[in-house]
Amino acid sequence: MMRIASSENVVRAICSDKWDGQRLSPSLFKGLNTSVSRLAIIPLAEHWELFRGYVERPPARRLEMIGEINVGQLEEIGRAHQPAVELTVEPDPLEWNRAHAVIPQRINRGLANSIVKRLQLHSGNEPRAERKGRG
Amino acid sequence: MNAAPAQHSNLYLLAPELGLGSASASAEAIADESGREDLVLRKLGPRAWRRLYQFRHLYEAGWGGGTGRMLSPRALEVLYRFIEQPAFAPLLEPSLFLTDEGHLELCWDDKTRGAVQIEFTPAGAEYYFERTAEEGFILTAEVAELVRRLASS
Repeated sequence: MMRIASSENVVRAICSDKWDGQRLSPSLFKGLNTSVSRLAIIPLAEHWELFRGYVERPPARRLEMIGEINVGQLEEIGRAHQPAVELTVEPDPLEWNRAHAVIPQRINRGLANSIVKRLQLHSGNEPRAERKGRG
Repeated sequence: MNAAPAQHSNLYLLAPELGLGSASASAEAIADESGREDLVLRKLGPRAWRRLYQFRHLYEAGWGGGTGRMLSPRALEVLYRFIEQPAFAPLLEPSLFLTDEGHLELCWDDKTRGAVQIEFTPAGAEYYFERTAEEGFILTAEVAELVRRLASS
């Protein structure tokens, strides 16, 4: 399977089921085949509309933030984890999102915590405001 | 000649004959539900209480872009069993999340363990203590033991 270059950045939608205004849920990255989206194909500003149209389900599930991470950084986090996990990001274009990609490896809770902490968070009101994720 | 009317042994019909057993069970269920809502409010705070209401009533199957599962009633039972333990008393208001599998995830900060995360599943609970990077799984029957362990330090 083709791997996405380490220089690319990917994003993940953060909806109200995974963010309560105080903490970010580590289950955002836990499990197999975690969905992400490539900024090299669709810019961040356009991801807001895309996620609002396909991921948000008001009144319950609202898009709160977008979490961004560099693929190389993701690979490094996997290598530094005990035991090490070789994380990759692979293209998986979908009808509604041609930038869609997946992290196919199984991510456990400890590793998911490390990833969530390194996310660069973008909020809807301040698209470039950056905060570090909290597990 | 007309047959004599059937004789009833009792002037009044008893509740089971009227099918009132189920109504009584419903009343008990409502009281039970109300008690559980109080429990969630008292132990987890208003934010988690509000979120649990939303997870129960507003998240239909397929909520996460088509893949999200509805909240598992059994996972919810495990959460109730966990928080009803008298020893469960988080210092700060915990956060409650719904996972894509329909499980509930409770996260809070603990003085000795750092971030504590418990994911309630239909079979039990998966736990994680950040400071020691300890991860594990316990069955529903062992929930009280996990709470005692958390309270012991």
